[in-house]
Amino acid sequence: MRNDFLPMPALVEDVIVETPTIRTFVLQLAEPMPFRAGQFVQLFLPGVGEAPFTPSSSPSEPGRIEVTVLAAGRVTAALHELAAGAEVGVRGPFGRGYPLHELEGHEVVVVGGGVGLAPLRSLLYTLFERPGFARRVSIKYGARAPQELCFRSQYADWAARPDVDVTTTIDRPSAGWNGRVGLVTTLLDGVDVDVRDACAVSCGPEIMLKFVARKLVDVGFRAEHVFLSMNRNMSCGMGICGRCNVGSRYLCKDGPDLSYAEVQAVPYALG
Amino acid sequence: MVRGITPAALAELARTLTATHDVFAPRRCGDRLVLDRLASAGAGELPWNAYRLPEPLKAIWFQPGRILARWPRRDGETAPRPRVLFGAKACDLKAVACLDRVLRDHEFKDPGWCAARESTLVVAGDCTDCAESCFCSMLGDLPYPTGLFDLCLSPAEGGYLVETGSERGERLVADHAGLFSDAAPESVERRADARAELAARVRRQNERFPVRDPFEKSVSKHDRTRIWAELAATCVECNACNMVCPTCHCFLLHDVRAGDAALRLGLWDSCFSAGHARMAGGLTPRLQLTERFRNHYQHKFVAFPRNWGITACSGCGRCIEACMGRIDKRECLHKLETRWIPSEVAQEID
Ligand SMILES: Cc1cc2nc3c(=O)[nH]c(=O)nc-3n(C[C@H](O)[C@H](O)[C@H](O)COP(=O)(O)OP(=O)(O)OC[C@H]3O[C@@H](n4cnc5c(N)ncnc54)[C@H](O)[C@@H]3O)c2cc1C
Ligand code: SF4
Ligand code: SF4
Ligand code: FES
Repeated sequence: MRNDFLPMPALVEDVIVETPTIRTFVLQLAEPMPFRAGQFVQLFLPGVGEAPFTPSSSPSEPGRIEVTVLAAGRVTAALHELAAGAEVGVRGPFGRGYPLHELEGHEVVVVGGGVGLAPLRSLLYTLFERPGFARRVSIKYGARAPQELCFRSQYADWAARPDVDVTTTIDRPSAGWNGRVGLVTTLLDGVDVDVRDACAVSCGPEIMLKFVARKLVDVGFRAEHVFLSMNRNMSCGMGICGRCNVGSRYLCKDGPDLSYAEVQAVPYALG
Repeated sequence: MVRGITPAALAELARTLTATHDVFAPRRCGDRLVLDRLASAGAGELPWNAYRLPEPLKAIWFQPGRILARWPRRDGETAPRPRVLFGAKACDLKAVACLDRVLRDHEFKDPGWCAARESTLVVAGDCTDCAESCFCSMLGDLPYPTGLFDLCLSPAEGGYLVETGSERGERLVADHAGLFSDAAPESVERRADARAELAARVRRQNERFPVRDPFEKSVSKHDRTRIWAELAATCVECNACNMVCPTCHCFLLHDVRAGDAALRLGLWDSCFSAGHARMAGGLTPRLQLTERFRNHYQHKFVAFPRNWGITACSGCGRCIEACMGRIDKRECLHKLETRWIPSEVAQEID
């Protein structure tokens, strides 16, 4: 019988330093692992532990995936010590992935905070690879400081695509920064999409999700069209270990992305 | 077909099986019975447990600290020795049905659970008495096995009636035909009477907790009320209720080094502990005990039936016996149904 607790071997092919606290690991998998944008994997360090990450690369390359990792604690700190050539393990993919069918034919506002842009990048690649699938892609991204902005070198390329725009902001003024200042929610005031019809997909810290969701509904989005990557501790990925539930759902199986309408139906789901 | 077996023949069957199987059976320990592995030597009849044993069956199939995987993969692992389990009661088997849903009957399978289930012969038995804490009746369940057993024993004159519940059970009887006899039709009738009588007794002992509504309704209507603070008032967060519960299956995936290799362990865990759902950065979705207390009920009585079509409580009463704060699940369920004071609705946070 297949053992879903046993990771598949993978080789760290390259390590890209994105920001002082975020690195992207390019992984060559022993076998391709087909996944949908928004599905996550468990990255395993033998004898150390495991942590969940949503690949930041395109699902069209299932044998060579990238995960973008913020150093946030024990396992992620150990991952940041790795150099090219290291052997790790990968399990997955887990979860439902982004609700692409909901996005088809709509304007899509993508709202990211910090390392939250990493999972969203695989959605962006998916949308970019299917011209016309979304009527428009409007990217709103915030980080604490200019040097914390992830994937900085790519924004110009993204914005050069037809029907794609990118706006970034940083939390506090910083020397040499001429862009916008303020929380990512400030980018949503007067957002120029047809709010009654548009969809939004957001990933970032829980507190950010809460205010992004409220703001989007305030400016006219329908709660059913706002999708949030819910933050929960995930371990088994299979609906067994019992730590990732939001109400009756196990986010590792039914998520991690839920619509704001689904989230509101569960008491105290967003802090 | 129902057969008969004497206590001496049953003991012989159990001891014969030890040659090829790990046999788990009730063992006397002071004035209590516990579930233990049966030694091959030694004579004497198997003690009869009149109701469920203190240990939940997950203790042998989903052990407190089991190896989930070895890294790197080691090929040619030996299959576990087949097992026989004596002493399972109806509520134990209902809990097995719950765990089968989570650990076996969907796209992800827990290989350890599947192998253990596959390789264990279950010799169940009717309840012939009940503990003060037994409340299977409140869940609409009966105190005798109706499925998921290979053999089911019911005490009868001169020994036990034996009913087979699977092909495997039939084979077991056929392989040891000399140990079994034909059952008298009167004893089969008497079994029905005894079963009905005990079912009525369990119902009677729980009449002081009258409930009418489905628990799903009683629990969900308190999604946002403050009743949980009252129910959890004496909870000391010892996690005992979850540890003894036969349907609880939360575990911590814990990685350790073992020489050049690495082991992945599954350790029993409990949703009552504050760190259970802790995330990086320290944020915990259910920081307050009251929220974790509600989650325990929400999961057993609302989420589980919605997700798997079965309530994740068998009414075995182990959590009642284990509770240091003397919290009685029946009383809580009764209060959840009967208490509904709109002014208690907490300020909505979100
Ligand atoms: C679906 C999903 C996708 C994600 N995608 C990304 C991504 O693309 N990029 C990214 O950077 N991050 C992502 N994350 C977040 C990432 O998984 C966490 O940052 C990571 O798990 C942190 O692990 P750590 O061991 O470094 O942190 P730690 O804080 O050391 O540990 C995290 C876990 O360890 C346990 N733990 C540690 N200390 C304690 C304690 N004192 N008491 C109790 N428990 C403790 C807890 O279970 C805790 O949840 C994602 C998370 C999820 C759920
Ligand atoms: S919740 Fe209590 S009564 Fe119900 S199955 Fe678990 S231990 Fe038994
Ligand atoms: S709860 Fe019911 S089935 Fe379980 S031991 Fe008690 S009487 Fe028997
Ligand atoms: S991660 Fe284990 S149940 Fe979801």
